[in-house]
Amino acid sequence: MRIALNGVTVRFGLVTAVDGVSLGIEPGEIHALVGENGAGKSTLMNMLFGLVKPADGTIVIDGVERRWASPQDAIRAGLGMVHQHFMLQDSMSVLENIVLCAEPVGRFGFVDFARARARLDAIAESHGVSVDLDGQLGRLSVGERQAVEILKVLYREADLLILDEPTAVLTPQEKDRLFDTLRSFRAAGKAIVLITHKLDEVMEIADRVSVMRAGRLVASAPLAETSKEEIARGIVGGVLPAPRARRAQKPGEVVLSVDALTVARRGRDVGPVSFDLRAGEIVGIAGVSGNGQAELVRALTGLERPRSGAVSLRGERIEGRSVGERRSLGLSYIPEDRQRMGLALGASVSDNASAGRDDRRSFAAGPFLKLSAMARFARTLIENYRIRVAGPRARAATMSGGNKQKLVVGRELSRATPLVIAENPTWGVDIGAIDFIHGELMRMRDAGHAILLISTELDEVIALSDRILVMYDGVVSGEVAGGEASRERVGALMTSRAAAPSGPEGMGEVA
Amino acid sequence: MLDLLLDPSFAASIPRFVTPILLAALGGALCERAGVFNIALEGFLLTGAFAAVLGAYYSGTPYLGAAAAMAAGMAMGLVFAEFNLRRDGDAIVVSIAINLLAAGLTTFLLRAIFNVTGAFSDPAIVGFGAIRLPLIEDIPVLGPMLSGQSILFYAALASVPVLHVFLARHRLGLRIRAAGENAEALRAGGVSPRRVQLLALVGCGALCGLGGAQLSIANVNLFVENMSAGRGWIAVVAVLLTRGRPWPLFCIALLFGAVDSLSFRVQGMGLAQQFTDMMPYLATLTVLIVLSWWRARRARGDVS
Repeated sequence: MRIALNGVTVRFGLVTAVDGVSLGIEPGEIHALVGENGAGKSTLMNMLFGLVKPADGTIVIDGVERRWASPQDAIRAGLGMVHQHFMLQDSMSVLENIVLCAEPVGRFGFVDFARARARLDAIAESHGVSVDLDGQLGRLSVGERQAVEILKVLYREADLLILDEPTAVLTPQEKDRLFDTLRSFRAAGKAIVLITHKLDEVMEIADRVSVMRAGRLVASAPLAETSKEEIARGIVGGVLPAPRARRAQKPGEVVLSVDALTVARRGRDVGPVSFDLRAGEIVGIAGVSGNGQAELVRALTGLERPRSGAVSLRGERIEGRSVGERRSLGLSYIPEDRQRMGLALGASVSDNASAGRDDRRSFAAGPFLKLSAMARFARTLIENYRIRVAGPRARAATMSGGNKQKLVVGRELSRATPLVIAENPTWGVDIGAIDFIHGELMRMRDAGHAILLISTELDEVIALSDRILVMYDGVVSGEVAGGEASRERVGALMTSRAAAPSGPEGMGEVA
Repeated sequence: MLDLLLDPSFAASIPRFVTPILLAALGGALCERAGVFNIALEGFLLTGAFAAVLGAYYSGTPYLGAAAAMAAGMAMGLVFAEFNLRRDGDAIVVSIAINLLAAGLTTFLLRAIFNVTGAFSDPAIVGFGAIRLPLIEDIPVLGPMLSGQSILFYAALASVPVLHVFLARHRLGLRIRAAGENAEALRAGGVSPRRVQLLALVGCGALCGLGGAQLSIANVNLFVENMSAGRGWIAVVAVLLTRGRPWPLFCIALLFGAVDSLSFRVQGMGLAQQFTDMMPYLATLTVLIVLSWWRARRARGDVS
């Protein structure tokens, strides 16, 4: 399948998300589409897939101009898309998820599951993608969910496969398996579009790279004719940020002390976990998501009562305290989910910026809010954190992912509390914003704040942490000093408890 | 008290109370699973009850009465869909509007068509008769409950497994569940969630219509203003408690129906009517408390 987009423009109200983009997609080719958050990559692909209507421009497939009334038309024409946020039903089985919207029906419209099963068996054999069809989707790991999404596309016999940031949530091993699958598609003559932030992956697998910036296509070339540096320059549109240097620094007093903390969880409880976090250091918690990090964070921030154990913040016991009390004692929290926990999307930027501070004298006079002071503060954040938004009165929902995250980070870090808990702070954020957020976290560390960084992004943990704790199956499976950490060493600890060092190395803090 | 529970006429009366609640709740389950917050079951039931009398009176057969009731319920479903799905009205506001509309409309039509107020009864209203099941009727306790009921009771009973299989294995059932859980995924798959929700609403209307027919042309042969008397609300509670799963729904509907029936019985035993009228709602509250206690326990992980 040969696809040509000619002068495509997509507008959302007054905003032009995609601006006159022309792009060719060839069969048997992996086409990487890169660019910052909000550059228009996803919008362009959503348009190609029929989820968004173009204001201008055409889609030409194998020489024929096509128009989609709905994604159903695009699917029928042989297009398949794996969305960044999985389009799956947690309560349904894998099989039900795969056939949904493309059900083979027998008599009276009842779904012929046996027929679907037979076809999927054949697909599993030819492409090497297989998942237990009877398992409940909600119990699957992220990697398995993605395999389900890919099976969905294969089941519909797509000739063009669009993947929107497929590796953002995968472990290195899962990523390798995905890439093997993609190579087998390429060999089968399918066309593949890969939207990604990770240039290493582009270099590893792509045949052709297209770079988008601010809605425009700034470059499109075969991989062989370009370089990583050139692509990166195209993405940010100028000079690249320099790699970060770590300033040596002696950690100060203990800020956060966690002692034999256990947290309830379905199946096996999380813990016991023990560690200390000192002023002026970043402690990273690495691990494949779902190994107890989320429960640990919930217990530390006060969102959930721990089952047992003690947590002290600057010497004060806090395990029984409320979220609000902990925050006023000196804790700030950058949650993983900016859409639901980090921000109130329907509220204004200004309301979001001062959320949790409305008890302060500077933002409130008695029961009344000082709206102008709040707006002033929001404007300071917008400036200092270079947040791209219409203004303090704009709704939070109007910002792109990276800018939303900058607002959350700005709000939390500007509280300048002794302790900052950052949970996947750069999840789904573009290079420029990642660099900025990392810089801010380092600046806080250098200024003597204690930072707990929970991240499934191994490179991030290694780049920033003074010490790395690795969580596996609900417990800390090992500790590695930041300077000695390598992807392989930490990666091994992430995937098995047996690999945990039993010696004294790094385990001093672990009870 | 035990005598009372074992009294065959008490057992025989339970299905008459269970049927409207069960049918309305099964309809509500369709909406719940499709992600439509429909708390207008009371209005749907009442409309069905009126249309059943209308149909039975003019056609002379209860079957056309039931058909009219279904049609009226489906029309109400379409009204709900128009305002909630197409015009994006808030589901609670739309529900309240429909409940009030149904009460007003039936009262108005009662005057406009039959020229009476309060209640309309006429020998020309032919209701459903009792269907006797030989052999089964001789089983103690259960016999009088299962035999000698209206065809609508048996239809309601059959609807439970049918709905269960429909939701589990039918194309539309699958899509209804998807619309309720992750509608965006349905949209990305090229299926309009709103269309699916519209069909769920229409199905809900049909089932509620039948429930209404049980009230007006099976339990009695007359229409009384506001004769649904809160049963639609009990059905709403049953749907929310069971998250729209057919079998648990059946159990809850059975319980509510039995208590409803019991409250009529004990009125004859010298208990104040004000108290007996409260009984279905007390049962609801009790179930709510027990379930929420149980769920909290399970969420804490005390019970695996």
